[in-house]
Amino acid sequence: MQYAPATGLLSTMWLLVAIPLASAAVLLLLGRRADRWGHWLGVASVAASFVLGLTYFFQLRGLTNRSVELSMWQFIEVGSLKVDFGLLFDPLSGVFVLLITGVGSLIHLYAVGYMEHDPGRRRFFAYFNLFVAAMLLLVLGNNYVMLFFGWEGVGLASYLLISFWNHLPSAATAGKKAFLMNRVGDAGLLIAIFIMFATLGTTQFDEVFTHVGALTGGIVLMMGLLLLLGAAGKSGQFPLQAWLPDAMEGPTPVSALIHAATMVTAGVYLIARSNPIYSANPTLQTVVVSVGALTLLMGCIIGCAKDDIKRVLAWSTVSQIGYMFLGVGLGGGAYALAIVHLLAHGFFKANMFLGAGSVMHGMHDQTDIRRFGGLSKYMKITWLTFATGWLAILGLFPFSGFFSKEPIIVAAFARHGWTAWLYGGAALLGAGLTAFYMTRLFVLTFHGPKRWTDEIEHPHESPPVMTIPLILLAIGSVAAGGLMATSVPEWLTPVLGPQEEAHGVLSHTVLTVLATAVTVIGAGLAWALFRKGTAPQELPAGPVVTAARKNLYTDAFNEAVFEKPGIYLTRALVFLDGKVVDGGVNLLAAAVGGGSGRLRRLQTGFVRSYAMSVLAGALLVVAAFLALQMGWLA
Amino acid sequence: MTEIGLPPINYGAITPMLILFGASCVGVFVEAFVPKAQRHLVQLVLSLGAITAALVTVVWQADTRTVTAGGAIAIDGPTLFLQGAILVLGVVSILLIGERSLERGGPFVAQAAIVVGSDADRNQTVRQPGATDIYPLSLFALTGMLLFVAANDLLTMFIGLEVLSLPLYLMCALARRRRLLSQEAALKYFMLGAYASAFFLFGLALVYGFTAGTPSGSGDNGGGVDFATIAAAVRNSEVSPALLYAGIALIAVGLLFKAAAAPFHVWTPDVYQGAPTPVTGFMAACTKVAAFGALLRVLHVAFGGASWAYTPVLGAVAALTMLVGAVLAVTQTDIKRLLAYSSVANAGYLLVGALAVNKQGLASTMFYLVAYGFTVLAGFAVVTLVRDADGEATHLSRWAGLGRRSPLFAGVFTFILLAFAGIPVTSGFTSKFAVFGAASGAGHTWLVVVGVLSSMILAFPYLRVVVMMWLSEPGESTPSVLVPGGLTAAALTIGVAATLVLGVAPESLLDLTNRAAEFVP
Amino acid sequence: MTTAQTVLAAGGAVSTGEAVTFWILAPLALLGAIGMVWARNAVHSALWLVLTMLCLGVFYVLQAGPFIGMVQIIVYTGAIMMLFLFVLMLVGRDSSDSLIETLRGQRVAAVALGLGFAALIGTGLFRALEGTSAVGLDAANANGNVQGIAKLLFTKYVFAFEVTSALLITAAVGAMVLAHVERRKGERLSQVEQMKARFAPGNYPGPKPGPGVFATSSSVATPGRLPDGTLTDGVHSQILPTRELTSSEAAPKGTEK
Repeated sequence: MQYAPATGLLSTMWLLVAIPLASAAVLLLLGRRADRWGHWLGVASVAASFVLGLTYFFQLRGLTNRSVELSMWQFIEVGSLKVDFGLLFDPLSGVFVLLITGVGSLIHLYAVGYMEHDPGRRRFFAYFNLFVAAMLLLVLGNNYVMLFFGWEGVGLASYLLISFWNHLPSAATAGKKAFLMNRVGDAGLLIAIFIMFATLGTTQFDEVFTHVGALTGGIVLMMGLLLLLGAAGKSGQFPLQAWLPDAMEGPTPVSALIHAATMVTAGVYLIARSNPIYSANPTLQTVVVSVGALTLLMGCIIGCAKDDIKRVLAWSTVSQIGYMFLGVGLGGGAYALAIVHLLAHGFFKANMFLGAGSVMHGMHDQTDIRRFGGLSKYMKITWLTFATGWLAILGLFPFSGFFSKEPIIVAAFARHGWTAWLYGGAALLGAGLTAFYMTRLFVLTFHGPKRWTDEIEHPHESPPVMTIPLILLAIGSVAAGGLMATSVPEWLTPVLGPQEEAHGVLSHTVLTVLATAVTVIGAGLAWALFRKGTAPQELPAGPVVTAARKNLYTDAFNEAVFEKPGIYLTRALVFLDGKVVDGGVNLLAAAVGGGSGRLRRLQTGFVRSYAMSVLAGALLVVAAFLALQMGWLA
Repeated sequence: MTEIGLPPINYGAITPMLILFGASCVGVFVEAFVPKAQRHLVQLVLSLGAITAALVTVVWQADTRTVTAGGAIAIDGPTLFLQGAILVLGVVSILLIGERSLERGGPFVAQAAIVVGSDADRNQTVRQPGATDIYPLSLFALTGMLLFVAANDLLTMFIGLEVLSLPLYLMCALARRRRLLSQEAALKYFMLGAYASAFFLFGLALVYGFTAGTPSGSGDNGGGVDFATIAAAVRNSEVSPALLYAGIALIAVGLLFKAAAAPFHVWTPDVYQGAPTPVTGFMAACTKVAAFGALLRVLHVAFGGASWAYTPVLGAVAALTMLVGAVLAVTQTDIKRLLAYSSVANAGYLLVGALAVNKQGLASTMFYLVAYGFTVLAGFAVVTLVRDADGEATHLSRWAGLGRRSPLFAGVFTFILLAFAGIPVTSGFTSKFAVFGAASGAGHTWLVVVGVLSSMILAFPYLRVVVMMWLSEPGESTPSVLVPGGLTAAALTIGVAATLVLGVAPESLLDLTNRAAEFVP
Repeated sequence: MTTAQTVLAAGGAVSTGEAVTFWILAPLALLGAIGMVWARNAVHSALWLVLTMLCLGVFYVLQAGPFIGMVQIIVYTGAIMMLFLFVLMLVGRDSSDSLIETLRGQRVAAVALGLGFAALIGTGLFRALEGTSAVGLDAANANGNVQGIAKLLFTKYVFAFEVTSALLITAAVGAMVLAHVERRKGERLSQVEQMKARFAPGNYPGPKPGPGVFATSSSVATPGRLPDGTLTDGVHSQILPTRELTSSEAAPKGTEK
């Protein structure tokens, strides 16, 4: 694999990262002086990046070698370790740049309205710009270290934004939780990079991918698993999924941009980008597929039992990213399918999150779907746009999901033997469950009797600055899938390899029919159950629902297996540190202090005593010289 | 009867000294003839101008490598580098000395002869502008320092030592506040300095005896005290080496006294505490450079051939110095005394570098001297700012809560203390790293171990001050931090900037020291 | 080269005369040094020092350095020490230092260390130089002693020699700084004014009697009396309360023999 050096307009691609970064710096440094116009600067910078991104994209289309590299300066040089500060603009990073800046612009615009009454709006936009810059660096870096920089940058921005309302304990805790769980993943990524350096001596993408074939299977497996750990952490996949739903404590635009459309898909990007590593080891692929399948089912099941509009969407995100992991795990042509689903998901999930935000905006920040109902009458635009997102995620023809999710299910059935039934079945079951809980969400929110409490006199539609992005995203939700289903895989061929027709245990047509049927059944069931509304409180339920409400006990598991022993370990360490280490140190300190106090008494302040110490010193020095060198006095 | 002719003198090479000497004489005349009101400004401009001119000539002479004035003066890389360092640090010191906005009339007493505590004394403390004799005295001291590092024979070195010491003794006695303490400090410094000079002279005589029979520069067999003759005698002399060893020991005592190495450091805390703070800074920065400059020349050039002989003994002195300085700093309650002990410990680190008798050791020690000089001047500059009605508030308990009162200066001082402690990103780290690197390169690992150990101990008192400044509530007696006048601000800025720059990007200075690190034979 | 020098400068073996002179003067020099440290009175101390210096001057002459020997006697002993004595007399020859040692063990340790150092250097030099004879003496004095010194001073050590001027200037400046008090016009009293003030009413012109003078008791708390019998202030320490002893107190206690 050979990257062409960037020439002409593309040599300015660093501007993509620099513009939002500069905007963030301006907003943070100017402080309150920027309060009046800061948010518009934030929007403008991302929009500028989008325009630039489009320009580069069309430039790239005109080239034959569509992998363009811009090496800017030697960033680290220690011994044989050389890390360039370099950017790579190729088909894969190109579509990510467009997704991030495109959807990002819309969400920025939306946030202008959403955050209007928040005193920290400028700070919010500063962090938001910081996030965009870091995310762009993540997808544009031409080596793993650059990627890691972006990776940590988005982690930081995500932490800052989740706990943006840090006066709320829940938000502060959620921020910490996200940060900690991400650390686990980050450690994996970091160790993977170390292994790369140790075995290959480089972290440049092209060199790593060229030489990965020469490595032993064990090392590739280790490297892949560690990368997967990183990816799972960032993307909220099993076993590091618990932080993502909690991250909904942040402002809704944050949930839409970071925790639905872009950042959480970084894991998918990482695996897609590292496809030569994963393709090199079938075991690795099986692990990825299993993680994807498990997570997608888990997300669906928990999503069915949640009553908070944003949490349901969050679990749905977990589940949809599970589909993407399934895709990248399947390998071969499915890499591109995962990316298509990622892009389509970016649109419709952002759309639905913003819709949820719009609902909350009109409902005094109420988030409990049991307290909604019949909102379709009051918020027409929100209702219609949300409906497009809902239909898109269901995967009904001709909405996006049909073109993006369906092929993944087909690809899962294309595996060999019984695993086809296992993973395909999981994907199919997931589709039905998705239809069920998304319909539940949709019906309870927009239809049925109104169940909101008295203080909300009449729900209202959001201002145009919020609805216009909604409408644009809705158009994307309807159209994106169809438009991208064939063009994007083709476009991605240089990076992810050629498309091949999947031939599985069931034919394509059969599967399409099956999937549609499952979806319709799920949706119909939900419609029938919740058409009349639901109880305003949580009712006692059977073990399955209880388990789902408790996130399938994963939090309890984490607590029992990691948190409690961690606390005990910490206590033990504190004890050890306090008694043994500090004790030793204190003893030493006391000895030094005592010695100091004693020595101090020699400092009497009298010249004669000082002179004596000089004389004694001179005597000793002379004696030592004569004794050591002349052998006298010995 | 032979004709006596003046030996050839390269006047270009000794211009810096001549400029300073001339300027100090002019300064004496200024004292006599210029009206009192204008003296301060004239003297300040004269001093700064003279030092700058001397610095320019040092730079102009940068490529000179010569031994001149009948073999008494060696102008070579280390000489020029150290002279430059002394002059730059001298400028900063003069800035501190010249500050008059912190206190009416500046930090110096108007008439040192007035009896302490008398009515006239009270009157002059609050009203009269300080004596400007301090400027010619500083210039004399700087002249002596330039000579001290350039001296190529022991006798000239001794004269240089006296020329630099005598003005310092006087300068110590001129504090405006706490005059008894200041006079006591001066007297102690004078008496002990004279005492140490006697050791130096005794050593000189013994070494002269050792060179008997070695052909000297003038051609006879009478020996001599110039370094070339001594080096030749060290290589090949028929006289018993006992004379040499006792001589090295006694000369080392004289030089180590000036450098404040244990157990010859005893004067340091008292003198540092009693002297006016700008003078303390001057001593801590410039005198240290001069003392170690001379020590380096003696150890490398004159006794370089016997380095195996003096390394164990002087190494023990270095270890003792580091430990004593660090351990005693722990219990100090006065910031100036604390800095004094810190300077003792630093003398130990410098000695570790000086004992690595090779190019790397020389270069790293010179780097350390410059880096430490800037930091310590900045440190004492901050000390001059923390004041109450009675002058500087130097007791540590008074510094509690200073971070709340004046976060900027507490921050600056914290940075300086971290530099002393050798935290990365400060010059303290790079310089310690360089010195310890040179020492371990020369095989003195045990000294490095002791050095690191003592740095750890020493970090405690520094951090204690930091903790005190930031984590205590300011009490009623917490003094205010004055906004520095232009001169102190300039000195402080230069010191802190140098500390930071030498910590972040030390390459250029390291290069310079490496290029300068070669003595002429 | 004079005859005397030839005799004295006999390089190599030490002549009998030289040895005899040395053994007589060396103890005297040491005695002078010890006496200087020991004497309580500053004038005595200075005189002891004169003795040592004189002996040293003779030693220099013995060592074929007549010029330095004479300079030692004329300049140091004759001029500087006499100046020193003048200063002592001016300051007051009665003021003697308290010699009570407040530091425990200081004196013993100082003596021990001093002896130790002397022994170390002395034995060291003795062992190192045993059997060695002086070299280069003839060469140094080849053109005459004074000329030899002149040659060194103005060639090899000319720079050091010139730089000592800086020392002298510094010393002069230092003396001015530390000792000179500037008085403005009007602050300084003329002789006539001083005399007038001395005999002005209310001022007692003569020296005041010491405590207990003409008093009934020799207690330091008892004020002195002027010749006319009145009590006078300012003759005893101010922190002590002034008191007159009662007659019973002043009466002999019968304890003295």
